Amino acid sequence: MLMIKSIIRPEKVGIVLSELCDAGFPAVTKYDVVGRGKQRGVKVGDVHYDEISKEMLMLVVKDEDKDDVISIIMRNAKTGEKGAFGDGKIFVTSVEEAYTISSGSSEL
Amino acid sequence: MKEVTAIIRMNMINKTKNALLKEGFSSLTCRKVLGRGKKKVDFSVIDEAISEGTIFSNTAIEEISEIHRLVVKRLVTVLVKDEDVQKVVNTIIDANRTNSPGDGKIFVTNVTDVVRVRTAEIGTAAL
Repeated sequence: MLMIKSIIRPEKVGIVLSELCDAGFPAVTKYDVVGRGKQRGVKVGDVHYDEISKEMLMLVVKDEDKDDVISIIMRNAKTGEKGAFGDGKIFVTSVEEAYTISSGSSEL
Repeated sequence: MKEVTAIIRMNMINKTKNALLKEGFSSLTCRKVLGRGKKKVDFSVIDEAISEGTIFSNTAIEEISEIHRLVVKRLVTVLVKDEDVQKVVNTIIDANRTNSPGDGKIFVTNVTDVVRVRTAEIGTAAL
């Protein structure tokens, strides 16, 4: 299993979540984060903002679903055709075990 | 070292904290998250109320039936030694299990290294 954590623009959350659901990945956890990237935040006039609010989407999926999920997020979280700085990042880490509390079973 | 990430019901946090403390795991991190699981909202729970037509207005039913509705949950992170993983997982399951969907999930991931900031200790000593 793999945990896919993606940091995306708050305004893109709706479309990403509905596309994930349509593609058969309804299970998601989301939380607000603030952060900056390689561009060191944004500069508007003389003011420098380096705590830009983003949304973190966390999914745990089977290994074979990784490419699907990543391409869905990539496609829908992008701004415009080419994308822009600040569209976000996707990180993939491995999950060794997963348990469902209601049934106590050791599976996704 | 392993990181145990549990997504549980909001009102179960105190019970979980106490259960973990009793087992000797005092340190944990929590945060409020929004999420959804595999299942949609179970209509059988509110069928009666709908058929009576008393409590729910049409808009309420519409809202509740939205597939993308996210539910507020608590995300608990506990870092433990490899040999304690099973104990922590079982403790969390025992404290949170109500046998109904929505009780949550537990994920176990590997942690490469831990450093205690105060003393710069590395590895299990820093836990």
